[in-house]
Amino acid sequence: MRGRLHSPRAEHGKNLYSLRATRHAEPMNRILCLLFLSASVLFAGDLKIEDAWIRAVPPSSKATAAFMTIVNDTDVPVLITGGSCPVAQEIRPMITTKQGNGVMGMALAETFVIPAKGRRVLEPGGDHLMLMKLTEVPKTGSTVSLVLTTESGGVKSHIHLDAPVR
Amino acid sequence: MARHRHSEARSRRIALILFAACAVIAIPALVILFSIAKKPASPWFGQYDPDAHPAYNFALTDHNGKTLRLQDLRGQAVLLCFGFTRCPNICPTTLGNLAAVYRKLPPAAQERTKVVFISVDERDSPASLKEYVPFFNERFLGLTGSPTDIGTTARAYGAFFRKAPAAGSDKDDYLIDHSTYTHLIDPEGNFRVLYRFEQLPETDRIADDIQRVLGMPVPENQR
Repeated sequence: MRGRLHSPRAEHGKNLYSLRATRHAEPMNRILCLLFLSASVLFAGDLKIEDAWIRAVPPSSKATAAFMTIVNDTDVPVLITGGSCPVAQEIRPMITTKQGNGVMGMALAETFVIPAKGRRVLEPGGDHLMLMKLTEVPKTGSTVSLVLTTESGGVKSHIHLDAPVR
Repeated sequence: MARHRHSEARSRRIALILFAACAVIAIPALVILFSIAKKPASPWFGQYDPDAHPAYNFALTDHNGKTLRLQDLRGQAVLLCFGFTRCPNICPTTLGNLAAVYRKLPPAAQERTKVVFISVDERDSPASLKEYVPFFNERFLGLTGSPTDIGTTARAYGAFFRKAPAAGSDKDDYLIDHSTYTHLIDPEGNFRVLYRFEQLPETDRIADDIQRVLGMPVPENQR
């Protein structure tokens, strides 16, 4: 549990999780980071996730979507590259495409970039994290634990959060 | 003295130029303002079709396996949209919003309103639609049909769809790009109002449009 802080607390009536990521840097990455990056980058991964929720979908569904606001208070961009959870085999960042004349679609994004001191809103009808190949369709009112994979300055980390299903 | 006269002429010229510039800006601005003021605000929230073009009378299979023609829904307002049941974001958002619209209708209007979801996915069946569409509201109907019938219906409603690459590792789990408009068809089977996807959260105003299409009074104090 070293380096991991998971302290859900209520703030302004919102579900707000302050998260410090667990670092799983490979030795080479770690050495490179030590050489080239400042300590603040090393410990980057202080993303805040606000208002995370998962859409309740019909029991036959093979996929659903997770929505949230991701806040990056650090001085460097942080990437979300994917994630995992107990109810889906894959979690992928998806962007919504608009092709004019009301035609919309989705496309796989390799990553969501959360700019330094910036935020990214994932919302219905827009960008989202797609929970694919559901092994179990999450029920309305339940909570799903998500682990998101992040990357900052070449360092891979994880964010743990709980998202209600509604 | 000559110098004084010269500067007087110059200032007169500047005044003239300023006056002309003001006129050039002000006259079109006034014309635009008057034309806006004269035009009565449309009571319709969506894009209204005053010509009431007849909507294509499709014959498709509903999620109970029965044939449904648009003409079977005469006397009812029909909200019609296209999608597919594997759609994890757009379609649930659309159907969720339409369910909220439906809940806002008074019971008498609910009785005369049908929400119809036409699948553009050949992987969908009456069974898969039955598991999907009534989840949002048990009175909504999912429709499917042969690729030809779906293609003809989509074209007639100006809807577009095409297969898109799979998002995950499974190639059969492909996505479909599709039109996200919702049509409101009047009780006589005519196109009346078109909603863009982004308009659907305005559930109160869509509920008002439905009641207008049904010839029901829309409360005065509203919008």
